Formats: sequence, structure tokens, C-alpha cells
Amino acid sequence: MRDWPIKRKLTAILLLISGLVLVLTSAAFVTYEVVTNRETIKIHLATRSRILAANSTAALAFANETDAKEMLAALRFDPHMVAAALYDRDGRVLATYPVTAGADLVPAAPQPDGYRFEGGRLVGFTPVAQGANQRLGTLYIASDTKAVSDALRLSGIVAIVVLAIALLAAYALAAALQGRISAPILALAETATAASTRQDYSLRAPKFGEDELGTLTDAFNQMLGRIEEQKKELQQHATRLEQRVAERTRELEKRAAELLAANNELDAFAYSVSHDLRAPLRSIDGFSQVLLEDYATQLGDGGRDSLHRVRAASQRMATLIDDLLKLARVTRAEMRTERVDLSAIARDIVVDIQRGAPDHQVEFAVRPGLEAQGDSRLLRVVLDNLLRNGWKYSSKRPHARVEFHALDENGERVFVVKDNGAGFDMRYADKLFGVFQRLHSAAEFEGTGVGLATVRRIINRHGGRIWAEGVVDQGATFYFTL
Amino acid sequence: MALLKAAFTVLTSALLLVQSPRASEYQVKAVFLFNFAQFVEWPAVATPDSQPVIIGVLGEDPLGTFLDETVRGERLGLRPFEIRRYRELTDIRACNILFISRSESERVGEILAALGKRPILTVSDGDDFAKRGGMIQFVNDKNRIRLRINLEAAQAANVTISSKLLRVAEIVRTPRP
Repeated sequence: MRDWPIKRKLTAILLLISGLVLVLTSAAFVTYEVVTNRETIKIHLATRSRILAANSTAALAFANETDAKEMLAALRFDPHMVAAALYDRDGRVLATYPVTAGADLVPAAPQPDGYRFEGGRLVGFTPVAQGANQRLGTLYIASDTKAVSDALRLSGIVAIVVLAIALLAAYALAAALQGRISAPILALAETATAASTRQDYSLRAPKFGEDELGTLTDAFNQMLGRIEEQKKELQQHATRLEQRVAERTRELEKRAAELLAANNELDAFAYSVSHDLRAPLRSIDGFSQVLLEDYATQLGDGGRDSLHRVRAASQRMATLIDDLLKLARVTRAEMRTERVDLSAIARDIVVDIQRGAPDHQVEFAVRPGLEAQGDSRLLRVVLDNLLRNGWKYSSKRPHARVEFHALDENGERVFVVKDNGAGFDMRYADKLFGVFQRLHSAAEFEGTGVGLATVRRIINRHGGRIWAEGVVDQGATFYFTL
Repeated sequence: MALLKAAFTVLTSALLLVQSPRASEYQVKAVFLFNFAQFVEWPAVATPDSQPVIIGVLGEDPLGTFLDETVRGERLGLRPFEIRRYRELTDIRACNILFISRSESERVGEILAALGKRPILTVSDGDDFAKRGGMIQFVNDKNRIRLRINLEAAQAANVTISSKLLRVAEIVRTPRP
């Protein structure tokens, strides 16, 4: 019933109520009929009994069975009379009706006066007395209750017929009248469904009257109106927002283009400056060497030493320029992305390092099978820098060790290069990757301060991140993603 | 019809015999005497309401204590019953029902003549009592007691017998000479 359409629900409720009322009324009618009929036949039996008793006094007083039988025999004119008997004052049977009535029809002795229903029969015991005098005996009469069952049957049939007709009428009326309630609700439901499925808030539900359903329809229509307005406003806002976003995007694109241009200019400038600086530097070094070879005797010890220093400084500057050029190239070089075996590259680099300095005892641990997507040339630069850094800063340890492995963090592959060397103070961690930024002096560990800057630029170009952790004198760990 | 009635009588007397073996003949007659009072009306002058209903027995009393036992404590309306026993006709004063014993059979004609039109219901079990001018005669019929009523005699004495009583009785007339 819960999922029935409202039309059927209303009809069902109306039918249920009218059906219940009709059934109760019919039950009351049938009960009334039966009770009335029982009372009626009781009164009839009592009346008949009293008449018969009054006529039977002499028969009882003078023990005349013939007369008594004749009296009782008159009962045969009433087909409902089942049995009768006359008892004398001592309770002995004087006569019975029918004459051959057995013990099943006539009680052996009289019972208390009165009329009662007993085993589908109405039985009555009536005192027999002449005038107001001494009791002469008792009259017993039993009648069937066919009148009651007939009344029950008749009233039952009437009740069922009335019930059927009334229910049909109720159904017809309910079907005709339920529309007054269901029609506005159905219209409302239809409008609501149409509005929500088509998102068309310009729809309005039709109004049928000024009752509560009318109020509901009004409220619903108002709601639709408000939604329509709000939708319009929202659309306007959205349009405005889109326009603004588009404007901002254009501005940002312009800025980005400008920035890129400036950056390129800067790179070009750095490249040309570095390139242009190499020629005079080579001259300084070359002529210093000429001076040292050709005029060594004239210069004296002080002069020679100074020239050696000039040469060392110019060579260091050349390295610096080379590194800067490398850095610039890294920025400008075109990237070719492919599957790269990082473990293989690392092993190459390790062989290279160990060949360069066979007396340094540093243990390298490279995990095999580490692969990544990227430019193999640039990634080689990254690993070269990191492994060489590890090797460099752990070289003063008795049991130096540099590891290359990877771990998975939050579904992201993180490559790790770890050493147990000099380490660094975490307070300066942000300075590690800046150009020319160094945490150690050149005298302690030689270097230009360009390597890690280059590494970061390459990692950035691959869309990855790089960061470091370290403790002074306990080693450093570099992490990067690609 | 007579045959049928006889058959009825045989049947019912047999029934009564079976059903009431202890009720002796005179016990029944005593009850009948008492019951007559309920089916008979006397002229108001003869029986004032203040007087008891008097049942008299003339001659040798065959009823013994049965009659006394039957009427003990009973009333007709407000009137109590009283039993009187008479030896001589002259003893009879106020009396409503008079039972004339068989002992007086010889004198019935004389007694009835003496009572004349006095409103006394005369009852006897003597032979031919009704035919001889008595009002009610007990007739023994195979252990059952039937009534024989001389209605003319009763009417002559101004004693009204209920039609109900007549129903259960045989009506006879005094044969005319």
C-alpha cells in the first residue's frame, strides 16, 4: 500500500472506512434482528404456555390424561412446537406431546419456571394454577428456533445485498470524488518531476482551489520562481567569473611570455658572458705559462709563486665558467624523454670515479634495476653530481660509504643518494641548491657551488622535486623524484 | 370414538398406575374434593368471604386423615379450609362441599331430598349417585377415578360448575320417570 498511487490510496481509504461502517451497521442490524426474534418467539411461547396452562388446570386437578392430551395436541397447529408435557403437583408426567415423546424430548421432571434457549431449542416451564390458588402442576413446552435462524438468514441476505450495493456506490463515489484531492497533488508532482528532470524552473503548477493544497501549490510555485531567479543570478555570476578568469589568464600568459623572454635573454647573456670570458682567461693562463717557462730565472721565487697563483686562479675560474656554461646548457638543451636505467648509469659513474682516484677507499652500494622516465643525458648529470658529492664529502671518513637506492612514498617513487660524510646543518638546507652557495670552504672540499644548482634545474625540468637531509659529521641524504 | 376413548383410558390408567403406585384411591379422592373448591362457585350469600371453605363428610369417613392433610395450610383466596364430619343430616349447617360416604348409600335419596336446593356441592362414590340426583360422583375406572356430574342438580342448587371441570367429567341426567 505504501507505494500505491495516491488515487488508489484515497479510494482504498474511503472504501475501507465505508466498508467498516457498513459491516458494523450490518452486524448491528443482524444482531438486532436475531435478538428481537429471539425475544419475540420467547414472548410467543410464554403467551401460548400461559393460555395452555390456564386451560389445563382441570385436567391436572382431576388427573385426566385424555383431556390433558387433547389440550397438548392443539400444539400440532404450530409447526414450530417440538414437544410439550404436563406434570402434576408431584412432578409426575400426566401427558406429553407428541403422545409418544421420549426422554430426549420431554424432561423426566419439571425444572425451574421460566423460558430459555437450550440446545437449539426454546424451552419453557409454566406454572399451572387455577386462579390465585395452589399450584396444580407444571406445563413444559419446547419449540424450535427456526424462526430465529430464518430471521438470521433473511437479515444476513439483506445485509449482504445492502453491503454489496452500498460498497459499489461508495466505490463509484470514491472514484469520482478522490480526484478533488488527488488532482492537485498529481499536478504538483508532475510539475515537480518536469522541473527537476528538465531543469526548467519557468514551469508553474496549476491551482485548483484555495484550500491547503492551493496554499501548497502557491508555495511550490513561489519556490520555483525563486529558484529560477537564483539560477539566473548564478549564471550571471558564473559568466562574470569566467570573463574575469579569462582576463587573468590572458594577463598571466602575457607575464609568463615576458618572463620567459627575460629568462632566455638572461641565459643568453650568461652564456655569451661565460663564453666571452673564456678567451681572455685563456690568454691570462697562457701568457702566465709563457712567463713561467721563458722568464723563470728572471722572476725570482716570489714572482714565480705569484704567477703560479695567477694560473691556479685562472684555471679555477675556467672551471667555474665551464660549470656555468653547463648550467646554461642544461636550461637550454632540448629534452628527449625515454626509459632510463638509472642503476646502470650510476654503476658507470662509480667506475669512473674509482678509476680517477684509486687510493680513495669509498664503498659504493647501487641497487640494481632502478628505472625512470627522462632524458638520459641530463639524468646522468644529476647522478654524477650527487654521487661525486657523496664521494667527495665522505672521502675523509675511515669507512666511507655512498648508497643509491629508491623507496616508495605515498605511491611516488623517491630516489635516494646517501653518504656518511661531513653532512650539513639543516638550518642551511635551503641554501644547498643555490648557485655559488657553498656550506664548506674550497680549502676543505673543492667545488664551484654550481653542481647542486644544475641538479635542481634538471630535476625541475623533469617536473620532479629534490630535497636534502643532513646532520653535521654524520652524513647527508639527497632525495629526488622525477 | 368410544373405542378410542376406551383405548386411551386403558393406556393412560396403565401409565398412572406405573407412575403413581403409592397414591391410594382415597388419597386421590381427598385431593379431588379439595380441588373442587377451585372449579365451583357458590352464591355469594351462602359463602361469605369471611367464612372458611367447609368440606363436610357425612357418614363413616373413609378418607381418614388424607383430607385433613390435603387442606392443611391451603386457602381459597383468603379463605382457609375447614373439615367437618357429620353423623346426622341435621348436623349440617354451613357447608360448601359435602362428601356422602358409601355407608349412607341406602339413604342417598332421603339425604338429597333433605338438602333440597341448599347450595352445597354434593359428592359421593356411591353407585348411581349422579343419576339419583347427586352432583358429582367418583367412578372407579380401572384404578383411575373418573367424574360423573349431574349438571341439572347443580344448577338447581344454584352451584356453578366451571366448564373446565365439565370438560374432564361425564355429564349425566336424572332419568325422568
